Amino acid sequence: MTTILIPALCLAAVAFAMGSVILFISKKFHVEENPMVKVLSGMLPGVNCGACGYPGCNGLAQALASTRDPKLTCPVGGAELAGDIGQALGIKMAEIEPMICSVVCQGDNHAAKEAAKYVGIQDCWAATQTVGNTKACPYACVGLGSCIPYCSYNALRLVDGIIEVIEENCTGCGECVQSCPKNVLVMMPKHDKRVLVACRSVDKGVHTKKYCSHGCIGCKKCEKTCEAGSITVDSFNATIDQSTCTSCGACISVCKTETIVMKGDHFELQGNS
Amino acid sequence: MTSFKNGGIHPPENKFTRDFAIEECPLPELLTIPINQHIGKPAKPLVKPKQEVKRGELIGEMDGHVSCNVHASTSGVVKKIDRIPHHGGGYTDAILLEPDGDDTWHEDILSVSSDPKHLSSEEQLERIKNAGIVGMGGAGFPTHVKLQPPEGAKIDTLILNGAECEPFLTSDFRLMMEQPKEILRGVSILQSIVGQGVQVHIGIEKNKPEAIELLKEQSKGMGFKVTGLDAKYPQGSEKQLIEALTGREIAEKGLPFSVGCAVQNVATAFAIYEAVTFKRPLTERVMTVSGMEIAKRKNLRVRLGTRFSDILDFCGGLKHDINQLISGGPMMGRAQYSFDVPVTKTTSGLLFIDNKELDRMRERPCIRCGKCLSVCPQGMSPAVLADKSQQHHEDELPEFGLHSCMECGSCAYVCPSKRDIVHWIKYSKAIIAQKANQQKS
Repeated sequence: MTTILIPALCLAAVAFAMGSVILFISKKFHVEENPMVKVLSGMLPGVNCGACGYPGCNGLAQALASTRDPKLTCPVGGAELAGDIGQALGIKMAEIEPMICSVVCQGDNHAAKEAAKYVGIQDCWAATQTVGNTKACPYACVGLGSCIPYCSYNALRLVDGIIEVIEENCTGCGECVQSCPKNVLVMMPKHDKRVLVACRSVDKGVHTKKYCSHGCIGCKKCEKTCEAGSITVDSFNATIDQSTCTSCGACISVCKTETIVMKGDHFELQGNS
Repeated sequence: MTSFKNGGIHPPENKFTRDFAIEECPLPELLTIPINQHIGKPAKPLVKPKQEVKRGELIGEMDGHVSCNVHASTSGVVKKIDRIPHHGGGYTDAILLEPDGDDTWHEDILSVSSDPKHLSSEEQLERIKNAGIVGMGGAGFPTHVKLQPPEGAKIDTLILNGAECEPFLTSDFRLMMEQPKEILRGVSILQSIVGQGVQVHIGIEKNKPEAIELLKEQSKGMGFKVTGLDAKYPQGSEKQLIEALTGREIAEKGLPFSVGCAVQNVATAFAIYEAVTFKRPLTERVMTVSGMEIAKRKNLRVRLGTRFSDILDFCGGLKHDINQLISGGPMMGRAQYSFDVPVTKTTSGLLFIDNKELDRMRERPCIRCGKCLSVCPQGMSPAVLADKSQQHHEDELPEFGLHSCMECGSCAYVCPSKRDIVHWIKYSKAIIAQKANQQKS
């Protein structure tokens, strides 16, 4: 009996001694933490994507709790989360517009001509730095998917040689934008009818036409059609001012190359009405 | 010494065209002359559509010190200035010239040779600068910049590079065999510019014994030292050639000036002779058209701006389908994506290749065999460089000697895992340069 009792008591004594030391240290060296940080970090998504510019969600929570800056926000959570945070902090947060990522290129394997078969390193940057582009168009999506690992929300996928945004997954954090060597990923305000010019080519129309069937050739038809005056054509590429665009879709019907497209949930809306 | 110390490889030479005399390539229907044929800033176009130009007329003016003039390759009418595919990937602006067939020289160009001895070295340098000459071995660095060493640098050795270590290429060899006198006169001009009394070395690989004999015989009494070098790649690389001929080694990021050397290619020496004695600008170059799949292999004298498709037509077309068109040699040349790419000042060869391995060539993991270490002429460890590039640790690479790498491709050639080592290194260099640019702006 004693053979088991002695070690058990010894261990219990050691455990008690250690526990007392830990208790003493935790009391003696206690760090006062703002309780708000815990509350806030519980609200944040916890993906640590870094879109806010702070190291992870906890970093933003600490910054929010200490500065109480109404401009600080989580772009992923959007207005809803901003409201919650404002309530918790007792301040009125600055209004934010929800954003979404869009691809401004339609150069998939059918539309865009391939420059040549690229067999080098399967990375968009490596392809651009050695051969310019895998496609004949120097402005097109390279189509090797270097942006995919940058997305923390699995919202990007390669379909038919071009990147596609899965809209229900995209939170508008904007982390992917810098990962694209051709800048074909852009952030724009999220609403149901987003009209955008899905082409980056600033080449003359004759060149663009040669390498892509959906390229903007700068014909200026959309510019003349737009009643709101929000389309400008500069260096053979149309630009839509999103703040004045009424999403009427008149430009889409006149665009011969089908460069201007409407994105969002507009198909469902049409079905309901 | 007849070779550099570290590493080196000896790929099959395949110099099929070594006994074929240089042929004149006929003028095509359209010449596309890029304004960017060199390292540095592209030239500024000076001509307008429908303007008539003569051969040798200045059509693109150098923009800044490290830049180069561009001249009309023949007489004709400028059609327009348009964008064309570039041999380095992507596109570049070019002057489209429709030849009139007369091929008349511009009136400034001398028809009788002038004696360069009457010219001061500044005047000679000025003529080289005006003629738009660049290093014709492949890099395309403007020669007038290369001949003006920075303050305090003293050059005591001038090296003429006739190594031509790339497989397939024979253009330099043919030029040495057919026009040795002109090349040697070009070297004398170079010698007088760099400074009288400099030792002139001529380095030629031993697989070209005829050229070594011929140049030895022709240069009798001129005090030049002709040396036969081991047939080993990359013997013709600037740093390796200097090491082989003088025993001097250049530090990382150092230039040949730093060890008192200046290196010029034989084709450049020939162009310098023409520029100084006739005021003739660089409007044509000798190149090798070879590869397994071309009907007639040739050494051609081609006007700058001739498109590859025109050269292909002249050489009888293709025997079989190809999957690789390489501008330059097989080791350091670049794969092309269009037949509309024109010949530039640096195009030393054009290879039509059907690479059976290309489709299943996917890079596999490094097996740590160390072959790349043993062949690297710069004594680096290419496997580490490639690994770090692949893991996107670009910032660590400079301490592993990234900038010593001249992308000779020896490591990728011997790699049993078929790793794209050179591509990874180029990739990291570009990313580092881009980061530095971002910091500047």
